[in-house]
Amino acid sequence: MSAIGSPRNDPRRAAPVPAPLAIEARGLAKRFGPVVALHPLDLAVARGRALAVLGPNGAGKTTLLRLLAGLARPSAGTLAVGGEAGSRRARRARVGLVSHATALYPALTARENLVFAARLHGVPDAGLRADALLARFELDAVAHRRAGAYSRGTAQRVAIARALVHEPEVVLLDEPFTGLDARAGALLEGIVRELAGRRTVVFTSHDLPRAAALADDGLLLVAGRGRPLDAAALRDADALARALAEAGA
Amino acid sequence: MSVFLAVLWKDLLVEWRSRDRLAAMAVFALLVVVMFQFATPPGASPESRAHLPGLLWIAWLFAGILGLNRAFALELENDAWSGLALAPADRGWIYLGKAAASLAVLLAVQLLSGVAFALAFAVPLDAAAPGLAAVAGLGALGITALGTLFAAVAARTAYREAMLPLLLLPLLVPILLGAVRASAAVLADGTLPWPPLRLLLVTDAVFLIVSFLCFEYVLDE
Repeated sequence: MSAIGSPRNDPRRAAPVPAPLAIEARGLAKRFGPVVALHPLDLAVARGRALAVLGPNGAGKTTLLRLLAGLARPSAGTLAVGGEAGSRRARRARVGLVSHATALYPALTARENLVFAARLHGVPDAGLRADALLARFELDAVAHRRAGAYSRGTAQRVAIARALVHEPEVVLLDEPFTGLDARAGALLEGIVRELAGRRTVVFTSHDLPRAAALADDGLLLVAGRGRPLDAAALRDADALARALAEAGA
Repeated sequence: MSVFLAVLWKDLLVEWRSRDRLAAMAVFALLVVVMFQFATPPGASPESRAHLPGLLWIAWLFAGILGLNRAFALELENDAWSGLALAPADRGWIYLGKAAASLAVLLAVQLLSGVAFALAFAVPLDAAAPGLAAVAGLGALGITALGTLFAAVAARTAYREAMLPLLLLPLLVPILLGAVRASAAVLADGTLPWPPLRLLLVTDAVFLIVSFLCFEYVLDE
């Protein structure tokens, strides 16, 4: 079982876990003053799996990702990433996050942005690591152009390279396909597919066909309450759309 | 330490490429000097020139606040803030990097406007220069030490341009008191009195330590 929304009611709870867990949350919750952004959520994601977090706007998807990344403090619950509960600082070393925005500095080139990110994470030989990522993501042509001049697709590829600069165990992608044209979307889909084979990937998306194609497991979030999506719903986009509609999403 | 150097390198490189912070701060400081020069009657007596250290610090203080307001604007663009906050290091080093970059820009503005001030008011800088440079540096350190922390707090508020001076100015009184008094003594007879200098040193140290420790929480949501 890779995604658990409410384990006490889940008939699959007794099933053996085949792989060590990359993410394990128990009663994870987040409030902003009187507003409950995320109700207590249990979540377990096995290493090497891809989890799609689906739901309407304002459902708590971004809040969940920011909690997993160590960018926000949970109001309640426990969270372990990479098999260790550890501090939020330790968690930040194990995750790479691509949020809605690219986190790039427009005045810096792609290479400078990657070198800066590598230095922030204490990566030795930051320049070599940046060059390797630029080559891997076919960004050599724009390596020395300032990020402010990039198309959305190119900026998104640099943003993903930036998130991978410290080789994180868990990659968190917040609506990575938003605003991309078909070609850039297909390119990014290939990158996510490649990542998912070797790392644990958690992504949010409104793009149901892509979510169905990429995810091993699904979590549906509606008004901050999560429940797992069954395998049948994940296998095709129509079933996914029906599951979302039934949940009121 | 590598995080400190990385943030300092990044901020100075971005500033070198755009120069928007430096230009706005320098123009503001020079305008203040020029306007006060226009307002000072020719052949003014030494007593009427007693306000000059205060004038100089008005220019430097508000130029500093102008720059500090911009210091975190570049982190908000594209949500680079989250990228910074994800660094698996003590966030105090991020604070120190940001503060050091702001200090470097403010020192450059102080140098420019200090020379303009000396020319505009016929202040002989040969004897006063080392002392004034020391006071300017200590005052700038105090402004940027606390200003960087509050600029980060204000950056994510709706009225950040107005919020920063409101938060910062009351707490900067010890820095301004020490800096203006020390500058007045340096400009009057070239001596550097210990009491205002001590006030500057102690306040700078307190601001740096408190801000270093508090910055961890400022980067959180």
